[in-house]
Amino acid sequence: MTNAQDKSATAPADADRQAEAVPPTAAGTTTAVSAAKAPTAVAESSGGVVATLFRFQSVFGLLAVFIAAIIFSPRRDGEILFLSADNLANVVRAVSEIGIIAVGMTFVILIGGIDLSVGAVLGLAAVGSAVLMVENDWGFLPSIVVVLAIGLVFGALQGMATAMIGIQSFIVTLAGLQIARGLARIWSDGQGVAIAYGNGPNEAPDSFAILGERTFGGLVPIPVLIFAVVAIAAIVFLRVSAFSRHLYAVGGNEKAARLSGVPVIRVKIAVFAICGLLASLAGIVHAVQLNQGSPNDGIGYELDAIAAVVIGGTSLAGGRGSVAGTVAGALLLGVLNNILALNNIDSNIQLLIKGLVIVAAAALQRLRPAS
Amino acid sequence: MRNLKAPLAAAAVAALVLAGCGTTSERTSAEPQAGSSKECKGADGKYTIGMSQANVAEPYRQRMDDDIKAAAKDVPQFDVKFADAAQDNAKQVADVENYLTQQIDLLIISPNEAKPLTAVVKKAFDKGIPVIVLDRKVEGDAYTGFIGGDNVEIGTAAGKFVAEKLLPSGGNVVEIKGLAGATPQAERNQGFAAGIKPNPKIKIIATASGDWLREKGQAQMDALLKANPKIDVVYAHNDPMAEGAYLAAKAVGREKEMKFIGIDALPIPSGGIKAVEQGRLSATFTYPTNGKEAIAAAKKILVDCGTIEKTQTLQTRLIDKSNAASIYAEENPTG
Repeated sequence: MTNAQDKSATAPADADRQAEAVPPTAAGTTTAVSAAKAPTAVAESSGGVVATLFRFQSVFGLLAVFIAAIIFSPRRDGEILFLSADNLANVVRAVSEIGIIAVGMTFVILIGGIDLSVGAVLGLAAVGSAVLMVENDWGFLPSIVVVLAIGLVFGALQGMATAMIGIQSFIVTLAGLQIARGLARIWSDGQGVAIAYGNGPNEAPDSFAILGERTFGGLVPIPVLIFAVVAIAAIVFLRVSAFSRHLYAVGGNEKAARLSGVPVIRVKIAVFAICGLLASLAGIVHAVQLNQGSPNDGIGYELDAIAAVVIGGTSLAGGRGSVAGTVAGALLLGVLNNILALNNIDSNIQLLIKGLVIVAAAALQRLRPAS
Repeated sequence: MRNLKAPLAAAAVAALVLAGCGTTSERTSAEPQAGSSKECKGADGKYTIGMSQANVAEPYRQRMDDDIKAAAKDVPQFDVKFADAAQDNAKQVADVENYLTQQIDLLIISPNEAKPLTAVVKKAFDKGIPVIVLDRKVEGDAYTGFIGGDNVEIGTAAGKFVAEKLLPSGGNVVEIKGLAGATPQAERNQGFAAGIKPNPKIKIIATASGDWLREKGQAQMDALLKANPKIDVVYAHNDPMAEGAYLAAKAVGREKEMKFIGIDALPIPSGGIKAVEQGRLSATFTYPTNGKEAIAAAKKILVDCGTIEKTQTLQTRLIDKSNAASIYAEENPTG
């Protein structure tokens, strides 16, 4: 009896979830709540246009900012500087690290959590890559594997602390931020570790340098490719795997999810592990782009990643949102940063504008009619 | 292999053409000095200068920007843009890239760290944009000129001042150091030790790390005061920490027993010059922001079509009660 009540209580969230990303056949609880859903179906079809607009809020936002960027772009000899291939490559390259982190952050926020440790984990991974390859003369593959494993394990441990002990993820990852930063400082002796490339001692292998280069005729930076692969993999993963149903269920109503047989603890640990893994991947990309692993790398990046997720329309309450939205959110921030810089807007004013954009995105979400 | 042939042939032809047609003057202009592969338009030109700052949250760096802004006002051909990297190397790389997109005529950069900014500075320099590097260096020599202070020399000046003026007959010194691992911290420490060496009766009885911060300097001094009944001079690696130490001593009524000296001497209301003028610090030593000098160098390159020195080291100045007020006024001509 309590079981049924719990399920019906989650009905609106379920309906929304389905609209978002869950394949209809996969939603196990749908039959149980289909009765409760029926009345909203009418409203959905009549408000379809509005709902669609809101659902792709961040994509439209990105489009709007992009068009504004073209209009306000400085020109030289008739050329729109913003649209130059070089500049667009810079924009996506600058966004790729935050984008990779934000994909992981989307998973965490979808289950109603938060991960404040990602910036520090990025720093730890950047230091790790540099120390292993430069000071310890490790090869490319073993270094990368170890660094990614560190991120994965670090995230999994945070997931365990929040899922098994029941500490709020905000607190767990706040502590994780300090711990990862401390580990990075210890590992690097508090100094940035410079990366030089070559085959000699204290040089990183040339194969590592490739990660920072450009491909397709020097147009597409490799970090952008990595971001694209991560984003597409995450989107596909959320569409096809049974795990995604669990993820949205935990975020929608954790208690109900547990009662309907979702392995909540395992889902949580997996989600934080994925987030840690992606943060360490971003750290590797960071180190190769700056030729250095510094314990101070990535300070404040968690906030940029959260901003990208929020602008992307994912609800901080969990259960609602999408990776595609996050990608659009990250790109929106990147285009915004770029066009403000190209117009030499004062850096203090830039902060104000970025703050207002985040508030606007969150406000739009409140207006969203879905539930 | 076939793919490589065409570009190789093109490159070979280009190299031959360049070698054949290159006059002597063209060859010299291809050399790294002044990055002057573009034709100099001199006083008739209009120039956009991009200033990439590491972190304006530090008063020293805000003052650097302000000095540049003030100096550029006197050069009608200059339009200076400012970007702030907020202490993030990746952001500073993007800032410089954005300047390149805007096709600036000259880059001034105060790098957050050397290694991560080296590649993008080289990219600008290789495009023929003159680059003036301030305060912190980049690696290699792909820049037009570096202007900075010499922290060893500043530390030595502070040490000499203690050895000769404050404690000629010897005494106890405590040293409050900057952030561990930072180069200026090591250099100011090393220079000071050299400066007091001629006077063997001066002893550094304790050191502590104040991380450049006023509140950290204060907390460290609290402990040092408890542990050391006789302190004659407090040497702090910057003025905020010296001020913090002064507050700690004042809180236990011992501020008159000892002298406080700092470094940086920023000519701003909350800076070291005012603290000397108002009697809290005995002395401070200027660490030049290089802003004025950067614009002078830019003018030399763009307007006068000249060249600048690869490295320009600015001398420090001792600020004490006798000259504090006049130097503050001199540095802030309008008010």
